[in-house]
Amino acid sequence: MSQPPLFAVVGHPNKGKSSVVATLSQNDAIAIALEPGTTREHHTYPLSIDGETLYTLVDTPGFQRPRQVLAWLEAHSLSASDRAETVAAFVQQHRDDPRFHDECELLTPLINGAGIIYVVDGSVPYSAAHESEMTILRWTGQPSLALINSIGTDDHSDTWQAALGQYFQVVRKFNAVTAPFNQHLSLLKAFGQLEPAWESVLERAVMYLSEQRAQRRHQAARLIATALEDMMAWQERRTLTTGQPADAERDALAGQLRQAWYRHQRRREQALRLAIEALYQHHRVQRQEAELEWHSDHDLFSEDSRQAWGVSRKYLAGAGFGAGALGGAGLDAVTLGSSLGTGALIGGLVGAAGSYFYGDRLTLPVMRLGPLRDGLQTARFGPVQDSQFGYVVLGRAVDHWWHISCRNHAGRDTLNLAPADSHWLETLAPEHRQQIHKALQRCRKQKPLGSDQRHRLALAVEAALEAYSHWRLNPG
Amino acid sequence: MTEHPLTRLLAFDDQVRRDRRQAPAFLHRRDRRFGLDTEACDDDTLVNQWLTHLRRFSPGSQQNAGGRDRRLQRWDRIGLAFMAAGVLLGITTMLGLLYYDGSGRINVTVLLAFLALQLLLALATAVQSLLGWRPWGWLVNRSAGADTSVLQHLHPQLLARAAQGGGLAFTLAGLATLLVLVVVQDLAFGWSTTLAAGAESYHRLVQTLAIPWQALWPAAVPDANLVASTRFFRAAPTSAVTAVRWGDWWPFLTMAWLCYGVLPRALLRWLAGWHLRHQARQRLYHHPGLTALRYRMETPVLETGNPDADASSAPSLDTRGELQPYPDSPVVIRWAGAGGEPLPLDFADNGQRQVFEAGGGATLAQDRLALRQAAAVLALAEQPSAIVLTRAWEPPTGELEDFLSEAREQWPTDTLVALVPLATDPSRPPEPQQLAQWLRFSQRQHQARLQVSRYDAQPPARAWSNGGAT
Repeated sequence: MSQPPLFAVVGHPNKGKSSVVATLSQNDAIAIALEPGTTREHHTYPLSIDGETLYTLVDTPGFQRPRQVLAWLEAHSLSASDRAETVAAFVQQHRDDPRFHDECELLTPLINGAGIIYVVDGSVPYSAAHESEMTILRWTGQPSLALINSIGTDDHSDTWQAALGQYFQVVRKFNAVTAPFNQHLSLLKAFGQLEPAWESVLERAVMYLSEQRAQRRHQAARLIATALEDMMAWQERRTLTTGQPADAERDALAGQLRQAWYRHQRRREQALRLAIEALYQHHRVQRQEAELEWHSDHDLFSEDSRQAWGVSRKYLAGAGFGAGALGGAGLDAVTLGSSLGTGALIGGLVGAAGSYFYGDRLTLPVMRLGPLRDGLQTARFGPVQDSQFGYVVLGRAVDHWWHISCRNHAGRDTLNLAPADSHWLETLAPEHRQQIHKALQRCRKQKPLGSDQRHRLALAVEAALEAYSHWRLNPG
Repeated sequence: MTEHPLTRLLAFDDQVRRDRRQAPAFLHRRDRRFGLDTEACDDDTLVNQWLTHLRRFSPGSQQNAGGRDRRLQRWDRIGLAFMAAGVLLGITTMLGLLYYDGSGRINVTVLLAFLALQLLLALATAVQSLLGWRPWGWLVNRSAGADTSVLQHLHPQLLARAAQGGGLAFTLAGLATLLVLVVVQDLAFGWSTTLAAGAESYHRLVQTLAIPWQALWPAAVPDANLVASTRFFRAAPTSAVTAVRWGDWWPFLTMAWLCYGVLPRALLRWLAGWHLRHQARQRLYHHPGLTALRYRMETPVLETGNPDADASSAPSLDTRGELQPYPDSPVVIRWAGAGGEPLPLDFADNGQRQVFEAGGGATLAQDRLALRQAAAVLALAEQPSAIVLTRAWEPPTGELEDFLSEAREQWPTDTLVALVPLATDPSRPPEPQQLAQWLRFSQRQHQARLQVSRYDAQPPARAWSNGGAT
């Protein structure tokens, strides 16, 4: 069996080599820093299917002394036919020389047959200083591709493209931080075109990655549906041993139960966030998001608030929920996040919940005391009796999912779940809205969902994910 | 291994619940491994093989595999309680129905009506189970509150099975009691009704009821004479002729109890068991965990990661050094073409200041020449200093390090070297993070006379002395 293709990502220091590898290998554990020389050794990142490696990406250090290396090569080569051997001889001779440590590290995969992925920064001007690097790479005789990875905002990619075209078989633009997933696949296909033997294996890799992508969305929908079910049906209980509490005690107990209920809901939502991030192999995301929190004297979803955000009762009635959904709803719940202001918060909720705030006040859960039995009494808080809570949770979860699913693993910025004041759920098909609504209604009545209902809810949530993606990509 | 579908369902559901705590990637690897080693099969076999496979490597879970599930033991006890109650009720009910103190007769019509009622209840239980209705749910929830949701969904079938078992015990006990009483007592049966029914129509009724056994036991089919002679009225005197035949009803009643009491109950008990198994299988087939398992088994495991996680070992970006004003130097080295054309006036060649090219597209020989020429100029200066213009956006490389090292050897020892990173538009100051990498580079060189300066085309104020920074 032939060796799986190897692709060495090489280039000048600090031009985004590690970013490209992190994005293509979906690995956010790769160190990416603005400091040149962050990568001192080469690291391999194989893509394997059932243990079979399809291809391997190699992250390498940048060139430190390319002119000296080229001078050595030119001094030790007799003709064009011995250039690859001369490069190998250079590595052999300087393996223990600390001055050429980085060059040896980056050239070693190449003399072992790796394809060349040469990364440059298209946001800075082209310079002839890179020509010695490109010449060395050409000396290795390996199939090569150049990537123009724009780190900054300026665009010099045209001059880069013209220059790189003289040295490399294929030149592509690829922003490691912002490139959408289909560009990742397109780039992998381009890798396969460097060598006929690599084409089929890269095609397979692309197919598997596409399937994985689709499956991840499916799994994300299931995770969100499960969290919705849990949060809508959650009830905080406390068994009392002292009989009927006095009014003051009762208020204190209600407060305790309410806090415990909120705490649980926040934790459950955080667990969902982490599960979605883990599903997409994001383990180091710094997130900024308004927390779910109720504030009993803060009626953000009053009629005035609703009008301020331009959502009419008529629209909500037409959104597909019917009269049954309209009774006594509204949101008295607000997320007062750590650093976000109330205005942003309203936007966050409105945007996240889509248009599903439709009444005057949200029916807050209240504490209920059960009958006294054998000297014991059970106090219960929840579940929330307004399914709008579910839409808030759903909206926030869908928004988070979208950001995570579109986030490249080279991204290191804080994920700011900014508000979006539009009604993306409008685009969701009525049958999916009904499925979601039915499930939420059932949950709030603490009726467990059957397998079929759970399945249908997950399908409806998946449709919501798709609708949100579509809305994000085609706003307006 | 042949397991009751319910046991299999519970074991599978338990495993799926345990798996929720595991990482999806691990589950995928584990089940893909199993899937690669397993041939295609139906769902029952698949689940059996999968559970066996997992138990093989987790000896601790064998207790669950071998013994009866604790949750099912509770239902076994409920079933036994129903049966015990059925036996007791069957005996007492039959004793009540056949109570005879010699003053009257046992009304066959009452017995037949009771059988009909009993049959109706049995059918109601069966229908309730088929519909999944749980009018007694609150009662079961109290006694079986710990049941998992998958078992809760089967409560109607479980309770129907227990109820039908109890009903069967009831009818069997009733039958046995009837036979015992027939043996040990002289029972007097008759029939009576307030309705205006004649003996002929009553005879037709009992003959219809006796159809199932008329070929098997003809004596258990009452003839018209028996029907006519055993009718009694509250006020009518009994005759000696009819009294002889009062006991002849027992074969009919025995067969009626057997056919319309015991047999339907036995059939419905079997049906309840079958329905429970069927429902358990259906629950298993539609279990979300089974779909997920099939997916994990059939989908290749795609891994893109590697164990090298160096994100946490990124170099420190602390910058302790500070920017210094650049000197008015007689030597300017333009590294890798920094500064573009034309150079800012502060660095342009003006007769008193000479500019040398090095690095980038220049050859190594040109670098060496620049060093030599600069050395010659610096040798004449009182306070020698040199400015090295660099491109701020490019990181400092080993080549510049080598160049500075050689400069240190060739230039006067007290030469101040100022690195001046320039932005792509030299009239603008470079970004702070770009300057920071040059400051860190300068620190790494450990050279006292090496500094980093910022060029700003419109500085607020500048105070220089020839050859040294203020």
